[in-house]
Amino acid sequence: MAARQAQKKRAAPPPAPVKPRWLVYLLGWLVPGGAHLWLGRPRTGVVFLVLLPFMFALGLAFEGRLFPFDVAEPLTALAAVADVAVGLPYFIAKALGFGAGRVLAVTFEYGNAFLITAGLINVLVVVDAHDVALGRK
Amino acid sequence: MDAPSHLLVMALFAACVGIAGGVLTEDTPPQQARSAAKIFGGLLASGIALGWLLYLFPF
Repeated sequence: MAARQAQKKRAAPPPAPVKPRWLVYLLGWLVPGGAHLWLGRPRTGVVFLVLLPFMFALGLAFEGRLFPFDVAEPLTALAAVADVAVGLPYFIAKALGFGAGRVLAVTFEYGNAFLITAGLINVLVVVDAHDVALGRK
Repeated sequence: MDAPSHLLVMALFAACVGIAGGVLTEDTPPQQARSAAKIFGGLLASGIALGWLLYLFPF
């Protein structure tokens, strides 16, 4: 009995090291799908690593606007938060001078919808990564 | 860029949201595909239905 228990103990895989939660959130925010990749969910990670930058790029191609943080305009400020939520693609686009937006473009509102939705989906992805990190999923 | 078809852009948006929703809400690939298809169809159908309903409003 004791020998069997000892053998069982030896055969059991070592517990996975606990990942610091703040690092999961940071990685998940900066690199869409990055937290899932790090947590050992490669399929989910790759889907969002491709999908969210694709949506963001489409938003820019449709001449959407990366909104400024304007506290005097609450809706604009909220849109700006949603834009930033997509992580690195936002900062790269800003650094390259994209996202000025052209209000007269037919696709302007579509572009905004894609840009804002990409950021909001990334928030959901980070929340999902939080559940994965806690072992709930 | 040339203005793309409104329906095409709406379908593209619905597909992206559908894929994200399916992957986030379900666990296995077949379930995810089913869920993504449902979200895609729901968004597209409601978008078209709302578009027709708006004809009733003159403003």
